[in-house]
Amino acid sequence: MPRIQRQASVTWEGNVARGSGAITAATGAFSALPYSLASRVEKPDGKTSPEELLAAAHAACYAMSLAGELAGAGTPVEELEVQATVTLDQVEDGSHRIVASELLARARVEEVDAETLDRLAASASEGCPFSKLIEASGTVTVNATLEGEPDGD
Amino acid sequence: MATERTAEVTWSGDLMSGNGRIDSVTSGAFGGLDVDWHARSEAVESKTSPEELIAAAHAACFSMALSHGLAQAGHPADELKTSATVTFQPGEGITKIALQVTGKVPGTSDDEFRQAAETAKENCPVSKALSGVPEIGLDARLQS
Repeated sequence: MPRIQRQASVTWEGNVARGSGAITAATGAFSALPYSLASRVEKPDGKTSPEELLAAAHAACYAMSLAGELAGAGTPVEELEVQATVTLDQVEDGSHRIVASELLARARVEEVDAETLDRLAASASEGCPFSKLIEASGTVTVNATLEGEPDGD
Repeated sequence: MATERTAEVTWSGDLMSGNGRIDSVTSGAFGGLDVDWHARSEAVESKTSPEELIAAAHAACFSMALSHGLAQAGHPADELKTSATVTFQPGEGITKIALQVTGKVPGTSDDEFRQAAETAKENCPVSKALSGVPEIGLDARLQS
């Protein structure tokens, strides 16, 4: 398969405490999204952050991976809802680190039991290249439930 | 203090012919972005992809870390322009990220700027989370 390249660009003005930046995607899917230190580590105030973009990337990657696993098992998903929550925390040396990405998936799919879904959900995380990468820095957890069932533990 | 940011995606159908949407994110800064396998692995079609979002996250994180490093060294940046290009090999994952930065930084030398950029590349939280990527390149220049 061919290599795919995707690009985004940022303009930053000023220092880190009082400056701000703007993020633009080369595809044009989003452009000039503002961000700042305050929006990153305090209240978002309508502004995105690197960790939020990472959460969006991880949720999108994982949704594709789980859709692929379910289809491969002969049970394509009708609808899949995936939520990724990325946590940035201050570690012992005072620096910030991405310590966790928590995936929650809710699937509407015929003829799949909870046990099978759990197994496919785990292998979808192993098959999603981002899960593997994030594990270099933090933990990745997966919790998948079938629609119509109570939320998992 | 820990900061959490959440994104929500809905997907319908299988991987190859199905489609998805990034519905919402904590901040509300963007939402309703379509994603699908074709746009991710072949034509761009104005749709975003996980790799483009990673490029955005990395460029944003690196720029902040560099502005911090420059200010600490006594030479705050007037402006930094950064791009991140992510190379994705389907079946293999992300094989390369190329960071490119041009800075307007009064009172600093090319060497100091390159050194600060190298430090930012090593230390920004997104770089650390992506440390498993086989190659992360950096091209740092002062605007003349």
